[in-house]
Amino acid sequence: MAELTAETVMRVAREFFDYPMSAETAAVVAKVADAMLADARRLSALGLDGVDPPFSYAAMIAESERLRRRAP
Amino acid sequence: MEQTQILELDVASLSDKLRARELASVEVTEAYLERIAATEPRLNAYITVTGEFARAAASAADAEIEAGRWRGPFHGVPVGLKDLCYTRGILTTGGSKVLANLVPDYDATVWTRLREAGAVLLGKLNLHEFACGGTSNNPHFGAVRNPYDTARIPGGSSGGSAAAVAARSNLATIGTDTRGSIRQPAALCGCVGLKPTYGRVSRYGVIALSYTLDHIGPITRTVRDAALMLNVIAGHDPNDSTSSRAAVPDYTRFLGADLKDVRIAVLRDLSDWYEPEVERSFDESLRLLASLGAVLDEVSIPSFKLGTQVTGLVARPEMLDYHQDWLLSRAPDYGDAVRPLVEGAMVIPAVSYIRAQRARALMIAESARVLDEHDAIVTPMCMTTAPLIGQELVRAPSGAEVPYLPTFVAFTGSFDCTGQPAISVPSGLSSAGLPIAIQIAGRAFDEGRVLRIADAFERARGPIPPPTLEDRSIR
Repeated sequence: MAELTAETVMRVAREFFDYPMSAETAAVVAKVADAMLADARRLSALGLDGVDPPFSYAAMIAESERLRRRAP
Repeated sequence: MEQTQILELDVASLSDKLRARELASVEVTEAYLERIAATEPRLNAYITVTGEFARAAASAADAEIEAGRWRGPFHGVPVGLKDLCYTRGILTTGGSKVLANLVPDYDATVWTRLREAGAVLLGKLNLHEFACGGTSNNPHFGAVRNPYDTARIPGGSSGGSAAAVAARSNLATIGTDTRGSIRQPAALCGCVGLKPTYGRVSRYGVIALSYTLDHIGPITRTVRDAALMLNVIAGHDPNDSTSSRAAVPDYTRFLGADLKDVRIAVLRDLSDWYEPEVERSFDESLRLLASLGAVLDEVSIPSFKLGTQVTGLVARPEMLDYHQDWLLSRAPDYGDAVRPLVEGAMVIPAVSYIRAQRARALMIAESARVLDEHDAIVTPMCMTTAPLIGQELVRAPSGAEVPYLPTFVAFTGSFDCTGQPAISVPSGLSSAGLPIAIQIAGRAFDEGRVLRIADAFERARGPIPPPTLEDRSIR
């Protein structure tokens, strides 16, 4: 698997977030993020077939009710 | 009563004396403020000491108690808040330069509840910047130091909260826990640290690290004090839609019991090595639990082996969402250790976040299957004792040098993923005088059973020697 490069990090930060990043910073970030991407790949070992994400409509309703109670 | 005697009283004992007017809150508050002045040069546990605010609150508490209007066990009792908790009119920094001048205009619910219970706020406690780490080496406010050896870290991110309790410069404090940040510093500082069930304590007004992993809870000297504090801070909050409507029992009624026929699942295979003294202490702790009547079984929870990874993949994108506006406008004000962690989330695909959230449901199911057959899960708290400040590697028994941080979160993050309650309880000191602890976790909203087991263990274990606030390291 290819390693995440500093150049990719810089481009994503700039093009997705309009966030300038030096090459030096991007190199550090690339190492951090590459480790996280490796972690993400390891999740496939858990066998998540049939496991739904815990994003429930009930949670959305609860938050919307809180927002409705807030003063405008 | 002498200052040293006042400082040794736990919440329960102090509360009795305040209610009986054998002690005044003003007297207690002055004793603690003197202790803070004496210890802070060595510990750096506080960002803000709220001396005058505390004196005024103590005076008001004494007047109310004298008039017969006792509010409960925390009336007139000194407390501290991790400096993530909003306090109206009092600086709240998040341990950051970004918020170095923030004075909120409202209180976090956790503080509102303690304040309304009559607690006296001594100050806002130092922490790892934005709660995003495990050392409390804060680049803006200075490193917090471990009272058992001031050359060592207290752990984090709630390092100041734990150090103050251990050093007797506070009596009961609030921390937050996303990957172990209540339990780990409590373990390294010889305190009790309780991460309640997710949603048991409102997150309103607490600067977030991760919306779906953050837990708020007490760090105290005893299990009873943790139960007393949880009684005050737990409960549904209309301002936090994730807070639970589950009834709040009196957690102290679970204490004082034995462990006859309590079934405990022993989970230790999340690491294949420990410092030898940590391993010995854990084995001794298991023997102690068995001697109290508990029945022990070794178990494995396979998905927990990826708990550290799952917490990172959930927490970092959520942290980026929370921090995005600050990062885009004030990146240079972030510390060098924290900023890359937030920036790194920019390149994590959304599908990885969703997959990690799905993994949490699997982890909850596997843990619940174990708890169908057992009353609680017991684990070592950390794999090592506290490293030196600035030390990045620790030595495994094999001789290999490995990064220290994974040794502190191997057993913690999974219980943040599952949201189930988990408590760190001291088990003893190493031969170098450094605290070691065990962790007890239970079913969701079953804090009572967790506290029962922790309390029985604590009573049987006996007192842990207090710290000496010395630099004891051999260099």
